[in-house]
Amino acid sequence: MPAALCQLWLDDPVLERTAPTRCPAAGNRARFPWVEPTDALLKARLAAGDDYALAEAFDRLGPAVYGAALRVLGEWTAAQDVSQDVFVELWSHPDRYDPAAGSLRTYLTVLARHRAVDVVRSEFRRIARQERNHRLTPAEGLPSPGEEVEAAEAAGVVRAAVRLLPDSQRQVVELAYFGGLSYREVAEAIGIPEGTAKSRLRLALAKLESVLDRQLLELS
Amino acid sequence: MTGGEREHVTPPAGLRERVMAASLGARPAGRSVPEVPGITPDEAFSRAADAFYALLCALDERDWRLHVLRDLDVQGLVGHLIGVEEDVRSALAGDPAVAEGDHVASTQPAADRQAGRPVAETRAGWRQAAGRTLGEVRGADPTAEVAIHGIRLPLGALLVGRALELWTHENDIRRAAGLSASVPDAPALRLMTELAAAMLPFGAMKTGLQGPIDLRLVLTGPGGGTWDIAIGGGAPEPAAIAIVTDVVGFCRLAANRVSPADLDLYVTGDSDRASAVLVAAAALGLD
Repeated sequence: MPAALCQLWLDDPVLERTAPTRCPAAGNRARFPWVEPTDALLKARLAAGDDYALAEAFDRLGPAVYGAALRVLGEWTAAQDVSQDVFVELWSHPDRYDPAAGSLRTYLTVLARHRAVDVVRSEFRRIARQERNHRLTPAEGLPSPGEEVEAAEAAGVVRAAVRLLPDSQRQVVELAYFGGLSYREVAEAIGIPEGTAKSRLRLALAKLESVLDRQLLELS
Repeated sequence: MTGGEREHVTPPAGLRERVMAASLGARPAGRSVPEVPGITPDEAFSRAADAFYALLCALDERDWRLHVLRDLDVQGLVGHLIGVEEDVRSALAGDPAVAEGDHVASTQPAADRQAGRPVAETRAGWRQAAGRTLGEVRGADPTAEVAIHGIRLPLGALLVGRALELWTHENDIRRAAGLSASVPDAPALRLMTELAAAMLPFGAMKTGLQGPIDLRLVLTGPGGGTWDIAIGGGAPEPAAIAIVTDVVGFCRLAANRVSPADLDLYVTGDSDRASAVLVAAAALGLD
């Protein structure tokens, strides 16, 4: 190598991210054979820190991931949060995806459903706690607008989860939690004994998770 | 329409940007995972020297007569490397003759001296020469400028280049002896790929590649990474190309031991320019 070139290198090191503003479009095949883009190649690019690969993954699979999350949650804000979590997970731990086990589309949509169900479970438990506390604690003034928005969003995901329950249990949950009825009032409204209303509600709470787990297994 | 396609819903505007920002906040672009522990350039050279010496110790007497490259058999090649170590130490001392010398011509006498010498002496001679080099560079300033064989470069870059040279010649011998190829460990590979990526614009100048080009170089596998490299300059709209290939293959390309056609390549952008960049990488000749 001519000395002048390496002297230039000393003066002006080039190992610097210049961050091209655009991802180059696919070109024609020319002098050397190129491999086809595969999920395994995308995974390798992600592991190498190629953020263009992440953008490509979102462009190709974002609608499927968002759709999977939205289907479970029924609420677009939470579905966006889940979609973001899924792609951050892919970018942070691309090694957790095994191309031999299935397509990246399947991996990401199943991951989205799992995350969405986690959100539903978490929100359901939180709302249940709030409801219990609410019944035990006298009301203190009106909720703030922020609290109302939060409560509305939480209610959205809970309703989505409850829709997955059998009718008899869904009915009890809806009357008790969304209708604000007591066990006795629920029993009277449906025409069943109070003890039955209680047991159906307990069963509904327990069954919610098992129903969702079974659904996930089928989807996986 | 499949069940999966029925689930497709166009994401709301802004979600893509949000996903990209959150992801890059969690892990910056360009950084490979799993992360590779850093080592110093002299450590990379030391590891390459150990691997090379282990191979020499594994060869039998007949292997030393195998033709390797140019007009050199194994013993001649090891002699060449003894000469390189001698020149490196002279360069560290600021010898102007070595600064302007030619890499092959300058070391040919050392290669010639091995003729008729017991291979054990040649092997021990190389080990001593590499050990003396290591003794001089351990703890030295890696940014200190060294001039050798027409090249002026930082000491750290010289040592990484020497590690790549030893690995390349180790595999020259392996190929001649019918042994399987070896691969440096990930930390050493990382240093080698950084060196090759940094020098790529100068390979482009050597081959007369017309810029400007915004190159995204993605080297996959342990020790790889992602680099954005500006080649050439001056025009407001550089051609944007991306080249993805295996890190070990790219190092072999930079050492001029494989051709671009031997690599598994994935390219986006102007494929003619991408081909020219690959030719430029091979022109680095980091062996």
